Amino acid sequence: MNGFLRFAKRLLIFIFLVVAVDRIGGFVLKKLYFSQEKGQFSQITYSLDSTTHDVLVFGSSRAIRHYSPAILSEKLKKSVYNVGMDGQMIPYYAALQEVILNRYTPKMIILDVSPWELNAGEAKYHKLSALLPYVDEHPELLKYVSYSSDLEPVKLYSHIYPYNSSLFIGLYNFLLKNKLPDYANGYLPLERTMGEKGFKLQKANAVHEAAAEEKQKDIYDEKAIALLRQFLRKAGEKNIKTLVVVSPVIFSNSFNSTKLQKLRDIVAEYPAVKFYDYSQDTNYTDKFQLYADIFHLNKKGAERYSSELAHDIVN
Amino acid sequence: MLFNSLAFVAFYLIVTALYFVLPHRYRWILLLSASCYFYMAFVPVYILILGGTIVVDYFAGIWIEKSEGKRRKNFLILSLIANIGVLCVFKYYNFINDNISLLLNNFHYQNPIPYLDIILPIGLSFHTFQAMSYTIEVYRGRTKAERHFGIYSLYVMFYPQLVAGPIERPQNILPQFHTEQRFDYEKMVSGLKLMLWGFFKKLVVADRLSIYVDSVFGHPSSHNGTTVAIASLFFAVQIYCDFSGYTDIAIGCARTMGIDLMKNFNRPYFSKSIKEFWSRWHISLSTWFRDYLYIPLGGNRVPVPRMYLNLLIVFTISGIWHGASYNFVIWGFLHGIFLITASIFDRLKQKWGITYELPGFINITITILLVSVTWIFFRANTFDDAITMLSSLKTFGQTPFTGGINNMAHCLFAISMLFLIEFKMEYFPQALNLVNHPKMWVRYTSIVTLIFIILLFGVFSGGQFIYFQF
Repeated sequence: MNGFLRFAKRLLIFIFLVVAVDRIGGFVLKKLYFSQEKGQFSQITYSLDSTTHDVLVFGSSRAIRHYSPAILSEKLKKSVYNVGMDGQMIPYYAALQEVILNRYTPKMIILDVSPWELNAGEAKYHKLSALLPYVDEHPELLKYVSYSSDLEPVKLYSHIYPYNSSLFIGLYNFLLKNKLPDYANGYLPLERTMGEKGFKLQKANAVHEAAAEEKQKDIYDEKAIALLRQFLRKAGEKNIKTLVVVSPVIFSNSFNSTKLQKLRDIVAEYPAVKFYDYSQDTNYTDKFQLYADIFHLNKKGAERYSSELAHDIVN
Repeated sequence: MLFNSLAFVAFYLIVTALYFVLPHRYRWILLLSASCYFYMAFVPVYILILGGTIVVDYFAGIWIEKSEGKRRKNFLILSLIANIGVLCVFKYYNFINDNISLLLNNFHYQNPIPYLDIILPIGLSFHTFQAMSYTIEVYRGRTKAERHFGIYSLYVMFYPQLVAGPIERPQNILPQFHTEQRFDYEKMVSGLKLMLWGFFKKLVVADRLSIYVDSVFGHPSSHNGTTVAIASLFFAVQIYCDFSGYTDIAIGCARTMGIDLMKNFNRPYFSKSIKEFWSRWHISLSTWFRDYLYIPLGGNRVPVPRMYLNLLIVFTISGIWHGASYNFVIWGFLHGIFLITASIFDRLKQKWGITYELPGFINITITILLVSVTWIFFRANTFDDAITMLSSLKTFGQTPFTGGINNMAHCLFAISMLFLIEFKMEYFPQALNLVNHPKMWVRYTSIVTLIFIILLFGVFSGGQFIYFQF
């Protein structure tokens, strides 16, 4: 019994210590996180809390690299901001949109979606952990971050946990802020150009992978599809002009044709929403000079594409 | 139920608290019920299979003990057939059927045997081997048959080691279930520390590395040799931390209840040879194969060529034990070949009187490289993928895929931390023993730091343990 009492006493001291360190650590990490003026964390913060632009571009890394707000703004005669985020997919756009629409109503939304975002898989929900630092300020995000695990609200009792995996990048952004690239209203083009040799090699692989994917059963992520529908419905409820765009891709077979059609069908359920598909546009397919890698246009390609898209929207 | 889930934390706290509240005579009921609940959290209906083999082995053990001569052997064979039969049906049936189809197709015949659409029961190979070790040990007279059905069931089902070992022996664990375990401060604290270390290995190292490893092994044809080499080395660390992390949690969890499970890992990547590697890696399985297969085949007490054949048989079967695929067969076979080659070298060195030994760190590096190459077969999704990855090694030197700078930084941080701690434990076990330091504030600070690191750098997406599939 003595052993148990000794254990219980020390356990209490230990729990107190853990809680204290968690609170102090969480406080320091929060300061570090929200003091960043550049980099992707400050992009998320700005997108959620400060955007007031007429047009918002939602999407993944393909949105950040493909849509130049300056070009779009000039042609559309509206202020434009790119709220895209690396590695994110439909659940993130839906979460971001809900918070933004609770604050203000933009005039137009451009949503860049790739058909593979409809693929079944949990990874897209785990990536919502990028929104954990904002749950305190925006409780409506809790239901989104809980998609990865029902126990996420319990984990959020820790004040350190919301900043999980963010320390290195936070320190880097904080210490080397002068060396970080400037996002131009959320746009961060890629300067490099894909080489011909790399293009040919990747094309051979792409044929192989596309053939393998076509053989697979079409298993969709119904939760992601529901969130896409929610995104389009909410935009409609606020009378926001909405465009769903599949931006250019280097190989015409990069996207599974069945999944592309599925995306088209979902968008067709919302007559006010326009659908633009540039994935088969021969101005971009196989033009490796316009790409930085197989997934992203380079600056030259992005500027040409932004210009073409703005032209198509106006007309 | 995964160890790396909050559900498990709650489950563990409740079961452990009740364990010490209940009188000894009722504890087996608690542990058995908890183990059933733990197992049924995966695929509930499979508890019936486990129950079936438990009944067969329980009675087989008693009958073996009561019988004499050939009858005794017959009961052992009956038990082995029941256990191996379950393994064959659930794990190897479709694999065998595939091979029959392939063979018949060569002669333009259709295979009439239907395929089974079944999910592999979790941890099947582990608890089957543990059950077999019981009947074999009873047959050999090294342990008495367990008369208490509940305690025997607990021997097979004890939840900390039910789904991924360590594969225990009856002599070690059955007496511990019969002995009243009183609350022991030292055991409780050292068990909790071991669990914490296991969580670090799993959440901070294994699951972090898996992000990179999965993206490379998932698209093997898209990556160059440098990337494949990095992914293979990362997988070597990932599987070690995944499995030994699980084992640490299992051993720690049992220890807090006063029950000592056998050691399963002993820093295997500090081994100076493949032979040493196998004395430090998955010790409970390698000793199982040694005791129940290698030695009965003749072990080292047979002519050298026969000994080499025994090694190949044991390691190939060890490969098949892991999974029904030729990749695992090749993985095991390669380890057998490495051991034979090393033995031939040793014999030649002895014959020619060469006493020179390579420096230890070179031997360690060679061992890690050899083991990492075999892990490609272990991890690759198909045989073709493994060959694609091995062939891509000729482009070693090209710029590697990073998988995102942030994740790569976390991977390198995790590996560095693991290496520093394991290096200290291997070569300076008494130095800087922070978590067991005599001063309380040093102990508490180091443990709280470890918790801080887990919360800040761990991956909490609930990654499955690799060895659960076996």
